[in-house]
Amino acid sequence: MSEANKGFDPIKLIREARDGGMDAWAKLMLRLTSSHEYQRVQGAISKPTLLAVALYRKAAESAMSEVLANLNMPSREEVLSLSTRLTHIEMAIDDLGAGLEQLRRAVGVARPQRTSSRDRDAGSETRPSSAQEA
Amino acid sequence: MATAEKTEPGLLDRVSTMVENLVKVTTTKAPIGKTPRQAIWTLNKATLYRYTPVKPPEERHRTPLLLIFALMNKSSILDLRPGNSFVEYMVNKGYDLYLLDWGVPGPEDAHLDLGDYVLEYIPRAVRKVKQVSGSETFNLLGWCIGAMLSTLYASLRGHSEGLKSLVLLTAPLDFTDKEQISLARMTEERYFDVDRVLQAFGNMPAGLIDYGAKMLKPVENFVGGYFRLLDNLDNPKVVDSWHAMNTWVNDAIPLAGGVYRQFIVDFYRGNKLITGTLTVRGEKVDLNNLRASLLNVIAEDDHITPPCQSARLLDKVGSPDKQELRVPGGHIGVMAGSGASKGTWPKVESWIAARSD
Repeated sequence: MSEANKGFDPIKLIREARDGGMDAWAKLMLRLTSSHEYQRVQGAISKPTLLAVALYRKAAESAMSEVLANLNMPSREEVLSLSTRLTHIEMAIDDLGAGLEQLRRAVGVARPQRTSSRDRDAGSETRPSSAQEA
Repeated sequence: MATAEKTEPGLLDRVSTMVENLVKVTTTKAPIGKTPRQAIWTLNKATLYRYTPVKPPEERHRTPLLLIFALMNKSSILDLRPGNSFVEYMVNKGYDLYLLDWGVPGPEDAHLDLGDYVLEYIPRAVRKVKQVSGSETFNLLGWCIGAMLSTLYASLRGHSEGLKSLVLLTAPLDFTDKEQISLARMTEERYFDVDRVLQAFGNMPAGLIDYGAKMLKPVENFVGGYFRLLDNLDNPKVVDSWHAMNTWVNDAIPLAGGVYRQFIVDFYRGNKLITGTLTVRGEKVDLNNLRASLLNVIAEDDHITPPCQSARLLDKVGSPDKQELRVPGGHIGVMAGSGASKGTWPKVESWIAARSD
């Protein structure tokens, strides 16, 4: 085998040609997608699509609301507002818990053993109380 | 003949490995985000995790570190895979590490805005971090939109709540130079009707965010990455790395409608933070109130948040201790790329370490 033959790698050549082509393509596409003309076309296409989706969504929601009302079930809006109220309750409980913890620290009372499943998950790591560690 | 006997099985093995790898990456999800951790607090979809420390308390840094990632991608990018995980690296360095994971917003969260994230979620998570760690102060690291949220929090509440130092990674804060910011061009008012999008979908769908981000470099994202995989199908290191990154990239999450509208209107179009006109729930955000030590990390090849989006930040903040760090790499590669463990991480870690005891 001659040195020239050893160095000949057709796959490498194909890859180099491909990468060169890809670079040129990437630059061209970048110029295209960064142009204001491209954004204008994209905006023109998306407007009717978005309008159609919004109209469909509105129609589906109002039809579903009627069905749910007839079945004496809560509507989508009611469920969504329930979720928001639950989050507010969660925040209030969180604030109360933090306030209680602050009071406990202020009067130097040790934290009681946690027993709920949520707290078991949260405190699964073996660790002394944070105050002790600090 | 003897040579043929030796090479033929090798070639077959190679082809078989390549086929196996191809099947693996196209049909399975890589196990990402696996560093041991416990959920210590939840609020709505958000969860605060504490990573299990590997060092005894006396060898750990005293100040806890809280990580906040973007809202539209999963935070598992910070803990991609063993050996290439920023979380694992920091835990091994002795940090008491916490991660605020935003979860996936549903239709019921379409109203969530910056006020909710910055003034309701982050302060409560911070309170829990301080309670669990027993420390009155804490350090904060935000990446991408997480860096934007961290900046707002640091300006509005950081000083009063014990924020000691803040690290911002590829933070999109300054929208002055719109021609340099491809996403700003894409979302100009004359081309993009944000209200119509939200009317149609409620939240900004993950697919649309992903499409917008990929169109910033369409050939590289839609074609180039797959060629890189095909070229290296017999290289397990490259395949595993590609698999993990691809799993993360394709696991995008929607963005709450309220906050998306604010990003577009107040930031991309209005540039209100830098011009000092941004208000969050009626409170004016003044960057001069950001007094914590600040490290601003800029990725030099970032095409999503180009360097111009945070290069002027240091002039605007009130921190007496502030530094800018420019590192080679793109928006994600700067922290999750193969060179991050020897480049960005040690630099960021040593800066935080000096402010953690």
